[in-house]
Amino acid sequence: MEQVIQAVNNILILSSMYILVALGFAFLFNMLALLNFAHGAIYMIGSYVGYVLITAAGVNHWLALLLATLGVSAFGVFLQKFCFRPFVGDFNRSVMICVAITVFLQTTVNIMAGSKTLALPPFAEGIFSSGPVSVSHERIVTFCIGALLLIATILFVNRTKWGQQMQAIAQNIEGAELQGINVQRISALASALGCGLAAVAGCLMGAFKGIGPFMGDLMLVKILMLVILGGLGSIGGVFVAGLLLGALDSVLPLLLNGAASEAIGVALVVVLLLIRPKGFFGHEA
Amino acid sequence: MSDNTTSLSMPAPGAVRGRRWGGLATYGVLLAALALIPALTDSPYTIHILILCFIYVIATMSLRTITISGQFPMAHAAFMGIGAYIAALASKSLGWPGWITIPVASLGSMAIGVITGYPFARLRALYYAMGSMFLGVGILNLIIAFGFYTGSYSGLSGIHPIFTGSKIPYYYFFLALSTASGIALYRLEFSRVGTNLKAIAQSHVVASSVGINEGFYRIFAVGVGCFFAGLAGASYAHYNLVIGPTSFNFLATLWLVMYVLVGGIDSFPGPIVGTLVLFLLPEVFRDLKYYAPYLSVAVLVLMVYLMPKGLVSLPKLVKARFIRRRKEGTGVDHVFRSESPR
Repeated sequence: MEQVIQAVNNILILSSMYILVALGFAFLFNMLALLNFAHGAIYMIGSYVGYVLITAAGVNHWLALLLATLGVSAFGVFLQKFCFRPFVGDFNRSVMICVAITVFLQTTVNIMAGSKTLALPPFAEGIFSSGPVSVSHERIVTFCIGALLLIATILFVNRTKWGQQMQAIAQNIEGAELQGINVQRISALASALGCGLAAVAGCLMGAFKGIGPFMGDLMLVKILMLVILGGLGSIGGVFVAGLLLGALDSVLPLLLNGAASEAIGVALVVVLLLIRPKGFFGHEA
Repeated sequence: MSDNTTSLSMPAPGAVRGRRWGGLATYGVLLAALALIPALTDSPYTIHILILCFIYVIATMSLRTITISGQFPMAHAAFMGIGAYIAALASKSLGWPGWITIPVASLGSMAIGVITGYPFARLRALYYAMGSMFLGVGILNLIIAFGFYTGSYSGLSGIHPIFTGSKIPYYYFFLALSTASGIALYRLEFSRVGTNLKAIAQSHVVASSVGINEGFYRIFAVGVGCFFAGLAGASYAHYNLVIGPTSFNFLATLWLVMYVLVGGIDSFPGPIVGTLVLFLLPEVFRDLKYYAPYLSVAVLVLMVYLMPKGLVSLPKLVKARFIRRRKEGTGVDHVFRSESPR
């Protein structure tokens, strides 16, 4: 019984992390129709900005998180204007520019900070234990922020004017323009939000696992799996897929060794993709 | 360089597409130059880099062959890995020499490609790309998972070499191998089968209506591509004598795709040019050490903004910009000389 609770615990924590990381990517795809292969690198740069702010500038953790998010969001606006917007719809070129961005960011970080894994100081010290369950405060914080951001994103997209404008743009750009929606400004906002989410994820995950210049590569594959499984075009799908992948990745390694559990996880995703390419809740053809 | 636009006037089935002596001459000169290089340089490192280049050329050419049929495979490095591991295991455990393991490994890679390609053949465009990416990741994880046989993350070592001693015999071996692969893939692309593949890419509905079995040809394209990927991987195993899973992960596939895109995905010499430029450039400037990847970034950015069709479109762009057209053709010219739509 204890183990079940601990297992459920682990599943929730891991799922919240995956969802947190994939949220920005899903957001960018829904709103900008962009498969942001550079998302891993933006996630990584967010964590490094946070690291520099916390360790070198001695800034308070939460303030650093906020500043890192703002900085990366601004970078996202820049990316959207110069790198994403010209290549909407052209898969080849957008992949090329995303790889270029990724390599550029990774090389810069590698030169400036080295390739060793650095440790981001944790956001919350201590362990919370009640009865059979013991969880570190860090994980609780990550889970709460992840859940909050997920709910906030869904509310934002569905309830606010900006969110609805984004949906309009995603559905039909010309129609949205005819309604008087400023496509450039809203797209910039969407990009800022997507990249900001990646930065938050980077800082939190970095505190949890340590940061390195190439941490985004592994995450990117996970993110892609999550988003495809959940269905391109749906934020709620990210939630469900995140739970599923989190469950797989916490339970399977207990039974098999590391790579085999990864393989089975991937196999499951592939089978699901073959049965239903749209994913759980996707509404793209 | 010969550029192979698919005009609406398709060639007669099986016929060679007009003797492009200019193009063949270019290839001939290139081959002659490459054949002479070992005589001109003493550095084994140069030979090593060129050998790697040949291996990547085989891989990128075969990747492009799959894209002819409209599919965008993102698992190519994983199939190189399959070929490499089959060859390595056959060489180590069974003691087979390279002449046997390489064909066996290529066939094995092709078989796995066909078997896995069968369920994927129904996915279109983006979903095929994503699906094949997950397939590649899954294959690699499986390879690592059977660590008892495959040495897990540390890989396999002690593979029997084909030639002992210096690298020069390897150099000519790989030069011949890549030339032969290039000829085979070229002939495939401009045969009836190749035309069928291109038809499927342009419009699978029209192609099916003409009687082209879309599923068969898509799997066929994947099979051919995986055969040469396995070939590249297996011969790499016998050259490098050590293989590890990190050489065949998604990042490797992504770079192969970059080589093809930079060179130009629409024409046959594209992957060759792309590999030569994008692979050799950081090596030529390797004194820059950590700064070397910036060169690749520069090339990628240049391609994306200035030459979206890749490096092979450079002569056309130069011509368009600097050479005034003598006589203005009728509008019909523009219709019939368009590139194949992507």
